[in-house]
Amino acid sequence: MSAITRFLARVGAFGLFVAAFARATVTHRPPVERTFEEAYRIGVQSLPILIIVNIFVGTNLAVQGNNAFEQLGGQSMVGTFVALAGVREMAPIMVASMVAAKAGTEMASQIAVMRIQEQIDALEVMAINPLWFLVTPRLLGILLVLPGLTMISVALMLASAWFVAIVQLGLNGSDFLAQCAEITHGADLVYGAIKAFVFAIIICLVSCFFGYTSPKGPAGVGRATNAAVVVSAVVCAILNYLMSELLYG
Amino acid sequence: MITRLATLGRFGTFSAQVMWRTVTPYWEVDATATHLWALWWRCLLPVLATTTPLGMVMALQGLQIFDLYGAQRLLSPLVSVATFRELSPVLASVLVAAQGGSSFAAELGAMKISEELDATEVMAIDPIRVHVVPRFLAILIACPLLNLAGSLGGIFGGFVSAVVLKGETAGIYWANLWQMTRVSDLFGGFVKTLAFGAIIGLVACWFGTEAKGGAPGVGRAVNDTVVYACTAFIVVNYFLTSALFGAIG
Repeated sequence: MSAITRFLARVGAFGLFVAAFARATVTHRPPVERTFEEAYRIGVQSLPILIIVNIFVGTNLAVQGNNAFEQLGGQSMVGTFVALAGVREMAPIMVASMVAAKAGTEMASQIAVMRIQEQIDALEVMAINPLWFLVTPRLLGILLVLPGLTMISVALMLASAWFVAIVQLGLNGSDFLAQCAEITHGADLVYGAIKAFVFAIIICLVSCFFGYTSPKGPAGVGRATNAAVVVSAVVCAILNYLMSELLYG
Repeated sequence: MITRLATLGRFGTFSAQVMWRTVTPYWEVDATATHLWALWWRCLLPVLATTTPLGMVMALQGLQIFDLYGAQRLLSPLVSVATFRELSPVLASVLVAAQGGSSFAAELGAMKISEELDATEVMAIDPIRVHVVPRFLAILIACPLLNLAGSLGGIFGGFVSAVVLKGETAGIYWANLWQMTRVSDLFGGFVKTLAFGAIIGLVACWFGTEAKGGAPGVGRAVNDTVVYACTAFIVVNYFLTSALFGAIG
């Protein structure tokens, strides 16, 4: 088979996986308890790295913004730049890639291990739908926490940018805040949450799909985990453009 | 706490060993070239598929700011500066970590748990020299190259979004493209990606050679590689940005 045929076959398999998953989710009662467990795990696990990453992305945005606009004499645009770039684009996409790296790879490797140790077959033998048992709580859990994580990230990013603007760049703090407030609206936060919802669905389904169809052996688990994070990051980046175009364009 | 410090210390020792073998003969030139070639082709598409949409997003959002001031001609300098300094180095490195680093961690992890690394050592062949150093070097060399490809992708994405979709003038986009970008920006991106490549290479090989506990261990190694490498270089990125382009310099 050529590479293109193989690629199309994978896309088709993913479509069938999603259809089977959707069917399993609506025909069974919702797994409430396991959903909260997953939500707690995903949220608590991802929070530390999200805090670190977003603080440093914020500081970086301020330094770069200052640099780019210094030559134009537009120091007054740093706040605008940070708010626009940070709230609308950087926060959702950074959260998505870090959650894909942390929670997504973990989903993929857990499910891949269950696949190669035949635990998924064992579930089926016990008449438990494996998609409902494994994928549904993860999807509902990540949907619960990702918008919240995005909001926390936005707040941290702006706070650290503000701190750097005052301490390192010597700008006026209240001017900076005024510029931020001028360019951002409540709608931006809602749009951020919408983006987060879509990214959550993509990350979870893609990671679970690669785990679920993992090749045999330890090397197979590695490959499945690897593919999960790359494909979810790429798809999120492309969808991010399409959503920005729709929401802000 | 003590265990963490001990792990950090062992990572330091490991890094020193890898570095020492990197600068002393004998070099596995063939293996390095093979890994480099594989890494380049494996990462090229994901890198382009991420930086291009982000270039498009940047042009989309940038136009909104510049429309306020009627300064659309500033769009392409902004896109090129942001891409060369910040966007492409970080995103290309995230993808190198997600795709290249994690696949090397998976390979080394699988070799470790199937005791291939021990077998190499028993044959009086230094496993770090034959297995780790070529991979480390491959990532170190590939990162700046992929950054260059990613930068071109970002600028092309900005072009597509601004000129093809939003109807700005193509001539203005290309004419102003290099207005603010200096050689130091290209050099800065090169230094950054070299540093990120070193971080990714060391982290990936470390988690790969430390994998234990069968297939789940390989999955964990891949997971940890992506998370720790990305977090580490995003933190380092801020300091490099400040040092290279920042308020100080």
